[in-house]
Amino acid sequence: MASLDMHATVNGREVRKPAGSHMRLLDYLRDELNLTGTKEGCGAGECGSCSVFVDGVLMKSCLMPVAKAKGAVIETVEGLAARGELSVLQKAFHKTGASQCGYCIPGMVMAATAALRSNAYADREEIKERLGGNICRCTGYQKIFDAVELARDVGNGTLTARALEAVDEERQADSFIGSNVRRIDAPSKVSGALKYAGDMVVPGMLHMQVLRSPVPHARIVELDVSEAEAMPGVEGVITCRDVPGTDGFGVFTHDQPIMARDRVRYVGEAIAAVAAEDLLTAKRALARIKLRLEELPAVFDPEAALAPGAPVLHEGAPDNVVMRIPIRKGDVDKALAEADLVVEESYATQAIEHAYLEPEAGLAYLEADGTLTIQSPSQNITHHRHMLSKILSLPINKVRMIMSPVGGGFGGKEDMIYQGMLGLMVLKTRQPVRYIYTREESILSTAKRHPTRTRCRMGLTRDGRILATEMKLLADGGAYAMSTEGVMRKAAILAAGPYAIPNVRIDTLGVYTNNTPSGAFRSFGALQSEFVTESHLDICAEKLGLDPIEIRRINAMRDGAVTHTKQTLGSVSLLKVLEAVEKSSGWEPGPPGVRGPERADLGGPGARRPCTLGARFRKPGADDKQEVA
Amino acid sequence: MLNCDEYLTPGTLDEAFDLMERHAGGYRIVAGATDVLPWARQGRAGDVHYPALIDISRVAELEGFERRGDRLRLGANVTFSDFMNDPGLREALPIMPQVAVWFADDQIREQATLAGNIINASPAADGTPPMIALNGSVTLARRRGGKRRERRLELVDFVTGPAATRLEEGEILTAIECDLLAGYGTAFEKVGHRRSLVISTVCVACLVKLDREGRRFEDVRLALAGVGPVPARLDECESFLAGKPVAAESVREAARLPMGRVQSRTRREYRREVVFNFVERALVDALAALGVDLTPQEPVLQKVSHG
Amino acid sequence: MSAKKRGRGVAAAWYGIARTATIDRAGAWAELDDGGTAKILTGVTEIGEGILTVLAQVAAEELGVRPEDVTIGDNDTARSPEAAHAGATRQTYMIANAVALACRDARTRLDAEMADHWGVDAECIRAHGGEIWAEGHNMRLSMDEAVHICKARGVVPVGSGSFTADHTGLDPEDGSGRPWQAYVYGAQVAEVEVDTATGEVQVLGIWAAHDVGRAVNPAGVEGQIEGGIVQALGQALMEDYKLADGYTSTQGFAKYILPTSLDVPQVTSTIIEDPDPLSPLGCKGIGEPAMVPTVPAVMNAIYDAIGVRITSLPATPEKVLAALQDKRRRDGEAAPGMAAE
Repeated sequence: MASLDMHATVNGREVRKPAGSHMRLLDYLRDELNLTGTKEGCGAGECGSCSVFVDGVLMKSCLMPVAKAKGAVIETVEGLAARGELSVLQKAFHKTGASQCGYCIPGMVMAATAALRSNAYADREEIKERLGGNICRCTGYQKIFDAVELARDVGNGTLTARALEAVDEERQADSFIGSNVRRIDAPSKVSGALKYAGDMVVPGMLHMQVLRSPVPHARIVELDVSEAEAMPGVEGVITCRDVPGTDGFGVFTHDQPIMARDRVRYVGEAIAAVAAEDLLTAKRALARIKLRLEELPAVFDPEAALAPGAPVLHEGAPDNVVMRIPIRKGDVDKALAEADLVVEESYATQAIEHAYLEPEAGLAYLEADGTLTIQSPSQNITHHRHMLSKILSLPINKVRMIMSPVGGGFGGKEDMIYQGMLGLMVLKTRQPVRYIYTREESILSTAKRHPTRTRCRMGLTRDGRILATEMKLLADGGAYAMSTEGVMRKAAILAAGPYAIPNVRIDTLGVYTNNTPSGAFRSFGALQSEFVTESHLDICAEKLGLDPIEIRRINAMRDGAVTHTKQTLGSVSLLKVLEAVEKSSGWEPGPPGVRGPERADLGGPGARRPCTLGARFRKPGADDKQEVA
Repeated sequence: MLNCDEYLTPGTLDEAFDLMERHAGGYRIVAGATDVLPWARQGRAGDVHYPALIDISRVAELEGFERRGDRLRLGANVTFSDFMNDPGLREALPIMPQVAVWFADDQIREQATLAGNIINASPAADGTPPMIALNGSVTLARRRGGKRRERRLELVDFVTGPAATRLEEGEILTAIECDLLAGYGTAFEKVGHRRSLVISTVCVACLVKLDREGRRFEDVRLALAGVGPVPARLDECESFLAGKPVAAESVREAARLPMGRVQSRTRREYRREVVFNFVERALVDALAALGVDLTPQEPVLQKVSHG
Repeated sequence: MSAKKRGRGVAAAWYGIARTATIDRAGAWAELDDGGTAKILTGVTEIGEGILTVLAQVAAEELGVRPEDVTIGDNDTARSPEAAHAGATRQTYMIANAVALACRDARTRLDAEMADHWGVDAECIRAHGGEIWAEGHNMRLSMDEAVHICKARGVVPVGSGSFTADHTGLDPEDGSGRPWQAYVYGAQVAEVEVDTATGEVQVLGIWAAHDVGRAVNPAGVEGQIEGGIVQALGQALMEDYKLADGYTSTQGFAKYILPTSLDVPQVTSTIIEDPDPLSPLGCKGIGEPAMVPTVPAVMNAIYDAIGVRITSLPATPEKVLAALQDKRRRDGEAAPGMAAE
């Protein structure tokens, strides 16, 4: 690694410190100057979390080779809060609840700062445009827009600074339950001060990199790490051979080794890991690992995986079935025969990536008393510790998992994906080790939402009552079981919807394939199965000439309803929520697609204008279509 | 990861040529770096190393722009944000702010140069169609034996395929020239999977001038990207429309003509229909900018009353 | 010329709170501390949903201090009591209730000491916002003073609590059982605009109503609804992790398309409160339920707008336009650009 001469003025301070030739401005700020408020969310200029001011202009620092910024005046998020007091904009973010996980927030604060510096009177449309290069995965952006508008109004004098403070109600509330108390973790997030795992530094820590499978299904014929181990700067190399305990993790079935054992089952599966003094050496060492694979027949479609003769992924599941969940109530066939209308349709949902702005990361070390400690943004440290103590053959109270601030989870950090490797590397090297995923590594190798294919049949009476629902849902579980059993269970229980249906036949089936494993993802199978029911109901509504809210009312569970799993419920608020959206949206009744030209419900308050870009060019009062250049 | 042994920032074109000669065979030219850094990552080029990266973003001769009669000369370092923010450029090229506001986002526009976008030669590049419609040409400079030579190529000839141009080893693209037009209505349309920071599936640039009475097309410029390996100038539409009356039917007929150009291997049916719809819409919007309204009478929303 | 067409759709949803078909549990410790502040320790996993703030509010309310007086300790297997994981929309339900129980336990200790100190019945001790008083008597102190008195009497006002959600497993044949003790219901209406020239769909408005039992922090509930809607919108219209023979072509955010600030609808949220009778606080949850009705509401709205039903996600411009082309063929209409047959 070559060294480049580098100097700049950063947040008002002159710095002169060499930079590595591979560094972007982002790396220089974070690694050389310890200004970790600026984040790497993707490294490819897509997410905006790396935004900084360079000579007064907002730029993405992951897209700037460090030497390009030589001699420049740079302002990072840390520079906004002069002497510890948050800027007006940062206070506004705190006030409106604009920060959730916080990982995108420093970049978002920078983009908002740039927006208001460009135009202190920017309207909401222009604000949206100027934030168009910053992705947030948690908030849905609304409260971010609110914050920028609030800051704009305080900044240009329309409102006083009092508008930024905690509301009086917050202070003297009759009850703190039901009060909009400002988030207690927001100040640390809007200032960029909060350290996530990838920001944490321990002196002398090693940097870990992981060798991942280039093919979907193969036997490991040779795995020779000796050359990598011998490289100067490399402190440790681990493979499955180093695992002292019972090597298996998962949620219900512990079918996944922390690194591939004998076989790889999906592209991106971890095979070996290297820890070295610096990241570049670790990467170079990966290339010196001798890996020979003998490819095996692979299966990529769940139906194909179920067919006789399909390649078997796990010895414990000769038919490649992870889990089957049946729900049965009444007599569906009889009810369908009696129904006035039977509608059948097929649906498909795709695999989704969690895309939390914080890629996976972790820092692990040995405490003075020998306790192995892992700091990582895990959603389930209790469960992870359990598994790690068995895998690493340590008493459970000698394994310590500390949750580092989570930059977005959505279920993707619920499974224990890399903490095993981190822990094992620390045990082997007896030194602190840090591992940070790149965005590509995260997308390539971590779990996804289960893609599904569902066949649905509903039988109804002429007046819209559902007599029977039958659903068969097939889910691609990918190479390892992870949360598949739970997802199939939840999908099944909720599939037929909050409706009083006397006859129900639901089958969900999760299957192994050589695809990226499917795992926990916010709403866990219910999104997939309820999508089917709610789409299907509209099809039925149209055929029966019924309004979509009406057909739901007719069938809605009410207080004391018996569910599809034969549970008697207490109070059921479904009618209340239906009534609420009917009112708030100004819903105009009518069967789907047939409401005709004489309708008054579209384009009213509550719906924004379609985005046509160019808000900053529009003269006030100009027609949408006329964009003045 | 992008790595190098030296990162060099010449201040003049001669310094740049000095460095290119010194590192012949082992350099890469970098302007905004907004294409090269995402490219040097896993899943694309992976880890890439150059002995020398030559950053031309501070080369004085590549700055700014200049009117030269009925042509405009743009220095290679003009960025997309310049098209939106520089009053002189906005006046000279009224179509370009419409293009720029759809290009990437605020941050990337500050770094990304039009020249870089053209050289990167993505089939869906947004910057190329408007320049083609404006009879764009590029100036390529080289230095041999101490003597500087320039050649000029029509932009339609310069881009030869995806990521392929006629830029030769030892050359730098120093300027882009295009028509200076007055009295034209302009439109730029783009379709992608979301509203911001999105790669085009298809994009169209359109400029229209009417005769003195405002009843016939005098000059039409149309260029399209995303339907073949290179962006295309829609000559058949342009010549069809010249002299035709300004009417919905002539616009529709013209929009049909380029449908046959769709060569993309993927999403063919989709792109053909989009091409028709977009060319039609681009013409209608360009006319609307001149105050001519060709939208049909059936409204999108019929509001009886608002509750 | 191709028009932009608008439409509306509705969808309802239900969801179960906390772990599915298995007993769920969470523990917490509470301490009233010097200065009238409070310490809460529990295995809480803040992932951005705002649970830390919720717990601070609950602890403040139960202990009689203010939210800014409450410090919540880190989630650390070696330091904090087990409260299981972040997931299954369980944290408000399981952990806020456990914290409430722990705080009540701490207050029992404090109230007993104060009652004795003041010579009143413990039942008349009240506290709120940093003050403690005996109802019906003329005695009032700051919580700071009360803690001092309590400790001077040799008692540290600590407490602990454990909250159980009593779920059963499912019968392996017919799935019968009690997978959750608390359910929530939600509905959303979506208004979309479809550009029939390109197939692009914009979601212009979503009206949402969700039963959360009891909203501890309404702005936080809104934030979850707004965020869940946008995440679901991504699945509805633009996100797609593509695999071919096990290899992905969507390895970065240039190809894996996420919703930006310009893609999000206006959101109008109504919070419905149908308190849970089986827990001390009555709160349920919102994290996952917020995103269940969105996708079908959007697909139903697309149908209303252009008469095509998208049954396979995501509804990309290509799919929508292809569906429109199919519909045109079925209806015997000419494609744009072609003379009528």
